[in-house]
Amino acid sequence: MNRRRLQRLSTRGLLYVGAVFLALQAAFPFLWMVSTSFKPPVEVFAQPPSFIPHGPTWDNFWRLFTATGFLTYFRNSIIVSGLAVLLTMVVSAAGAYSLTRYQYLGREKIAGLILCTYMFAPIMVVIPFFILVKKVGIENTHFALVLAFTSFCLPFTLWLMRAFFKTIPLQLEEAALVDGAGRVRALIYVVLPLALPGIIATSIFTFILAWNDYIFTRILITSDELKTLPVGVQDLFHSALIDWGLIMAAGMMITIPALLFFIAVQRYLIRGWGAGAVKG
Amino acid sequence: MTDMSKPKLQPVVPSGVRSTFVLVTAKLGIMRRATCIPVTRPKRREQLTGFLTIAPALILILGLTLYPVAYSIWLSLLEKHSFFPQQRFVGLENYFYLWKDPEFWSSLWLGTVYSIWTIFFQVILGVAAALILNETFVGRGLVRGIVLFPYMIPTIVAVILWKWLLNDTYGVVNYWLVALGIVWEPICWLGADHIMLSTIIMSIWQFFPFVLLSILARLQTIPPELYEAAKVDGASAFRRFVHVTLPQIRGILFVVILLRSIWMFTKFDTVWLMGEGAGAGRFIRTLPVYAYMRTLTYYQAGLGAALAVIMFGILVVCTVIYFGLFREEADIG
Repeated sequence: MNRRRLQRLSTRGLLYVGAVFLALQAAFPFLWMVSTSFKPPVEVFAQPPSFIPHGPTWDNFWRLFTATGFLTYFRNSIIVSGLAVLLTMVVSAAGAYSLTRYQYLGREKIAGLILCTYMFAPIMVVIPFFILVKKVGIENTHFALVLAFTSFCLPFTLWLMRAFFKTIPLQLEEAALVDGAGRVRALIYVVLPLALPGIIATSIFTFILAWNDYIFTRILITSDELKTLPVGVQDLFHSALIDWGLIMAAGMMITIPALLFFIAVQRYLIRGWGAGAVKG
Repeated sequence: MTDMSKPKLQPVVPSGVRSTFVLVTAKLGIMRRATCIPVTRPKRREQLTGFLTIAPALILILGLTLYPVAYSIWLSLLEKHSFFPQQRFVGLENYFYLWKDPEFWSSLWLGTVYSIWTIFFQVILGVAAALILNETFVGRGLVRGIVLFPYMIPTIVAVILWKWLLNDTYGVVNYWLVALGIVWEPICWLGADHIMLSTIIMSIWQFFPFVLLSILARLQTIPPELYEAAKVDGASAFRRFVHVTLPQIRGILFVVILLRSIWMFTKFDTVWLMGEGAGAGRFIRTLPVYAYMRTLTYYQAGLGAALAVIMFGILVVCTVIYFGLFREEADIG
């Protein structure tokens, strides 16, 4: 009896050790980033490194906002990600509605094709995409970037929205039709309110993807005033002496919006229907 | 009307719905009102609206993903400068060039090494972590949230974080290793000897939450009775894993390994950003990085496209073999 209790206790103990390790390995690098971003230059390079800054300062953030193009990059990121979400959602909501509510020839084939393109990696698309964009003459524009993000996100948003629309019972719509509502009214008053959580969650996934993108922006955008955050921050690296305090402050400022949105959709992720929702 | 919202009566296929609908309404005695609704809707109009609503998505996917990928096959047969419009048809010359190019073979090798190690550890760690997070303990929700952080942040942030942690002079990792007496002198993590190892560790850290998430979602749907039955039979924890858990997660494991393999083999940003500015970049010049460099460092768009096509070809062949090897799992997944 005693031995059994001991065994159970040690299993619980191991479980907690594992859980603490999992939390720490994920959180520590971020905490270290936060710590570094508040350190004055002398402390950043101090040995031994201290976890809590002795003389915390906003100096790194101040320099980030005034001496670099950070605010421009931030604005660009918001604009491009926002537009990409808008376009993606309108197109994929319509597409998902079609895939679940109408019957027509080749519907399942189209769904399969979409799932196939989900597996295309950005590097395979971006090289020809870049050449084509140059041919059309829209290189170095936010428009090209929005199109690129949309094409990149569409397969998975369509797939997610399709799964979501499938869970909305058709009877509700049919009932609205019985009561004399037209298809459009049934859509606006019955389907959309029910689909709203799914639409919001999918939008956030799309936003995170667009916000985090590096490769499309690196290749399609050349002028500094059009760059988004990931590329802009990478360029902070190019100076001869790396200003780690400044870079960590920048890293924190990019992470915060992504994390806020992540917290908003986290429960969907863990509940499972969004498993595999984010590509990369 | 209340009858209709019972979950039992909710088939997924529209045609099924109609018959159920008719059935239900017949039961309720309102058959006359119901029959004229969906059944008599003009078929052709339905088809047209269906096509029109999927059309924008289809056009965007065809035009912006499939067409570029097809175009890259054509592009790989050209000699073309990335920025100027001149182009010349050279047939398979780009491929012959790559065949004799040692850098291509080295990038293929480095890419394979990188993908195999990262995939292997992602899957092991992801499954182990999912098993832990599927148990009940205090603070489980919080840990589940925190663990997913690394997967959600921009790659550039993950890379600057790790470059700072691994910095040879001021990095906290080296400081601890020396302070704890594990090594005598700081390790040059981003130097030629260790950069591959650093990149692999960092990639595992960044991407194993994807495996965790997918497996955890599946674990939550395994009926607890299965475990109870196994416990009654006196199966140890290990045997319960092998005989109960593993068969249940086999299908999703198949899909996850497939997706992770595709994405790790074509991983660009993590590897490129780790190598950039470190001076040892060529020791992690994997196939995607090499394709990028041919296009945008040497401006040889044709060669870049040829590399992308080769990458695509390798993936297709491997996927077919993979499906052949694990036919059973493919059916479940």
